[in-house]
Amino acid sequence: MKKMLTLEVNGDVHELAVELDATLLRVLRDQIGLNGPKKGCDSGGCGCCTVHVDGKAVYSCVCYAHSFDGVKVTTAEGLSSGEELHPIQAAFVDAGAVQCGYCTCGMMMAAKQLLDDCPRPDEEQIRHGISGNLCRCTGYAKIVDAVKLASERS
Amino acid sequence: MSQLNVVGQSLERPDAYDKVTGGKGYPVNVKLPGMLHAKMLRSPYAHARIVSIDASRAERLPGVKAVLLPKDVPQIKFCPVFFVPVQAPSMVLDFDVMNGERVRYVGQPVAAVAAITADIAEAAIDLIDVEYEELPAVFTPEEAMAEGAPQLHDEAPNNIAKTPFFEYGDLEKGFAEADFIFEGTYETQRVHTCYLEPRVCVVDMDRQDNVTIHVTTQHLFGTREKLAFALGIAESKVKVVKSPYIGGGFGGKLELTSMEPVAALLSKKCGRPVRLEQTRQEDFITTTRNPIKVYLKTGVKKDGTFTARYAKSILDCGAHATHGSEVIMVHGAFGLFFNYHAPHQKWEGYTVYTNNMIGGGYRGYGAPQGSFAVESQIDEICTKLNLDPIAMRMQNARKQGEPHPFNPAFTLATYGLADCLREGAAKIGWEKARRRDKGSSGAKKRGIGLAVHPVWVSGCMGFPDIYEHSGAIVKINRDGTADLATASMDIGSGQIATLTQIAAEALGLPAGAVRMSSAGDTDNLPFDAPTHASRVTYSSGNAVKEAALSAKKRLLEVAGSMLEVSPADLEVSDGKVSVRGTPSKTLSVAEIAQRAESPFVQMTAQGPQPTVMEEKGTIIGLSSLAPKSNPTPCAAQFVEVEVDTETGEVAVLHAVYAHDIGRAINPKAAEGQVEGGFQQGMGYALMEHIQFDPETGSCLTTDFLDYKMPTAVEMPRKIDSIFIETDEPTGPFGAKSLGECCVITPAPAIANAIYDAIGVRFAQLPITPEKILRGLGKI
Repeated sequence: MKKMLTLEVNGDVHELAVELDATLLRVLRDQIGLNGPKKGCDSGGCGCCTVHVDGKAVYSCVCYAHSFDGVKVTTAEGLSSGEELHPIQAAFVDAGAVQCGYCTCGMMMAAKQLLDDCPRPDEEQIRHGISGNLCRCTGYAKIVDAVKLASERS
Repeated sequence: MSQLNVVGQSLERPDAYDKVTGGKGYPVNVKLPGMLHAKMLRSPYAHARIVSIDASRAERLPGVKAVLLPKDVPQIKFCPVFFVPVQAPSMVLDFDVMNGERVRYVGQPVAAVAAITADIAEAAIDLIDVEYEELPAVFTPEEAMAEGAPQLHDEAPNNIAKTPFFEYGDLEKGFAEADFIFEGTYETQRVHTCYLEPRVCVVDMDRQDNVTIHVTTQHLFGTREKLAFALGIAESKVKVVKSPYIGGGFGGKLELTSMEPVAALLSKKCGRPVRLEQTRQEDFITTTRNPIKVYLKTGVKKDGTFTARYAKSILDCGAHATHGSEVIMVHGAFGLFFNYHAPHQKWEGYTVYTNNMIGGGYRGYGAPQGSFAVESQIDEICTKLNLDPIAMRMQNARKQGEPHPFNPAFTLATYGLADCLREGAAKIGWEKARRRDKGSSGAKKRGIGLAVHPVWVSGCMGFPDIYEHSGAIVKINRDGTADLATASMDIGSGQIATLTQIAAEALGLPAGAVRMSSAGDTDNLPFDAPTHASRVTYSSGNAVKEAALSAKKRLLEVAGSMLEVSPADLEVSDGKVSVRGTPSKTLSVAEIAQRAESPFVQMTAQGPQPTVMEEKGTIIGLSSLAPKSNPTPCAAQFVEVEVDTETGEVAVLHAVYAHDIGRAINPKAAEGQVEGGFQQGMGYALMEHIQFDPETGSCLTTDFLDYKMPTAVEMPRKIDSIFIETDEPTGPFGAKSLGECCVITPAPAIANAIYDAIGVRFAQLPITPEKILRGLGKI
């Protein structure tokens, strides 16, 4: 059973027929062909799949795509405009916050939500802001540095 | 050491740009035309005989392309661990891909389906009817070794897979000489590496048995060898494609599992590529750090000098030995007895089968379990005998210049433990914190703790049956840059940065001028041992340096011909070759490479002119070699904790980690290893635990909601890394290793800090709030 759906993803409008039980993550990866949202657990526990829906961060692995008709989705691929990195992306590179990188795209989308809501967060706000996203490589130290750096630069 | 230009700089990781813009380079993204999707059916029983399998209902489901049953799978037993030969005599050869007669743990694969979608494959495995005859199961090593226990493998009476031991001196005499004897039993739990990219493979196997596989692996060549063996085909038939990187490993992607051969066989049946991606639940029951129970008895003089040490370790390897054959050895050697001097020592290890999930590799590989026992007991000894924990450790530690305890052919040429302890102690304010009044009022008590890991490895040179050689190709391009190709997999470990820095330094090129090739496979890359055992910087780094020096030699030959000077009179710096003492005679590396690759005959105004034959040919360097030694890094971990005696919660406030690294190739990348290592070690100490239903043996912690690991909130606000650079003579530009000690030391340091805070010693990990409250007598 499928349902027709219109999604605006990173500025491009897609008309899609999606299975009723297809998650937003699955549609973004398998139907639209994006790599940024990643499957780490498929159960809302790791945050690798974090994207923005109408400007709010969600775990795309626990959202049914069919309930998002007409929304605007932003993934890590949509953060930068043109060839310039978004300040959050640039800060993650410069702070050394990227190791295996599998959490990175989701982590940046969580960071973006935080900085959208609170442009000058202190360390505790940063740590809580990214606490819904797991990283197994970095111990979060340089991720926290990256979010601080992005905040300072904007 | 002459001046270094590229090594020692915290350069940006070359892979970071792709990773922040979407991350193309992971095996999870691989899609091939016509690709099918597979799922495995897994046993619901911990121990059962398979009576019959009927897949006819699954086969009839529209969209199903093939069903794989045990009868379709070669019934071969082997060791799936990547870093040893597939039939290594020192390992237990008991793993099979799909056993048709018996299941020995909940989750053992019994059948698989390939279909046009993953949903159809999932639906189809539910339609496979398996009749089982349940057998009695056993879930603890003690029960498994007891008389009358169910026997899991015919060749292992009493379920004992392996019983290694080490012994020297006269234990009785050593204990008789002791002023005090300390005894304790220390238990560690089963934990998962929690790499975030799930295990996944895409395999194309044709009907002539040619296999191409894209897979999340820490070892391309191990995948090739073990997959070929499992399929019963020649190794050269299997091509393992190098992904630019994988999403974490930490030792958790260091063996063949059923996934790869199952996907291959389904692909051959269908004549189409097959993708098999594990769910997180499947990953949780695929590999794990083995739980080990250690009984440790130590004899000491009044001044803290060890006179004798005895230990007995019981390792739960689960249903198959796999890594458990080797983890027990590394545990005994590097977790317990090589650490410190003691004149009389004995250790006995038992690798024991149970109906639990199979164990696996995880950073530290048996050492965390041993170190928790040793470093906890040393803390107890120091407390009881009122000894200084730093001085006592140094008194029993090894010294620079001594023969290596593992192999006397190697020496401890560099050994910076004293500096690690001194600088670490200064950084955390050890002396002041030790003397601090803990305070009798208030619910929150602070404590400070220390743990050391005095002897570890830089790879596996000298280990029986373990591969330890590396290879590299360095090619100089006509634009003056160079390409580096190796089979070493970057699993987040950073060698895309560090190995290119080593190559640039050796070549005399500027930072950023060497690129790690993102292409390659086992057909065209030289062998490299896995990304494991703290080996890449040292072992692969030496191979990369050698290949770069070989390319540089050729570069100077061509330049010498061009400048009409001897190559011995030339030097390379910052991408320019110049004649020593005559700075005006200079060529850029680009000019030399262009000359080398230019046509032999060049057209000039005077007609065709031959050029110099000796200058022709791509400037390339190759290496394939084993390292000269196995130098030990060493490390000291200090932590400060705050224990809430009302809730039992432990907050780690500050961590200081000092490590003799030889040379930090990229200090920022090195810090990342330490900070991430602390997260894993802290999770081990305080919260992580794969739990099973004690009645059925099924895993209860199957996602990240049930399996807890530290988030950014739980982590300490301050993690200081101190790198002691001792300039190891056998290392590339003085480097030794880093990757694992930083995971080994946090748990005992945290346990010792908790003791310092509340006066209760915990000998079982993880130290949960519930255990703290019980320890305080509050529940």
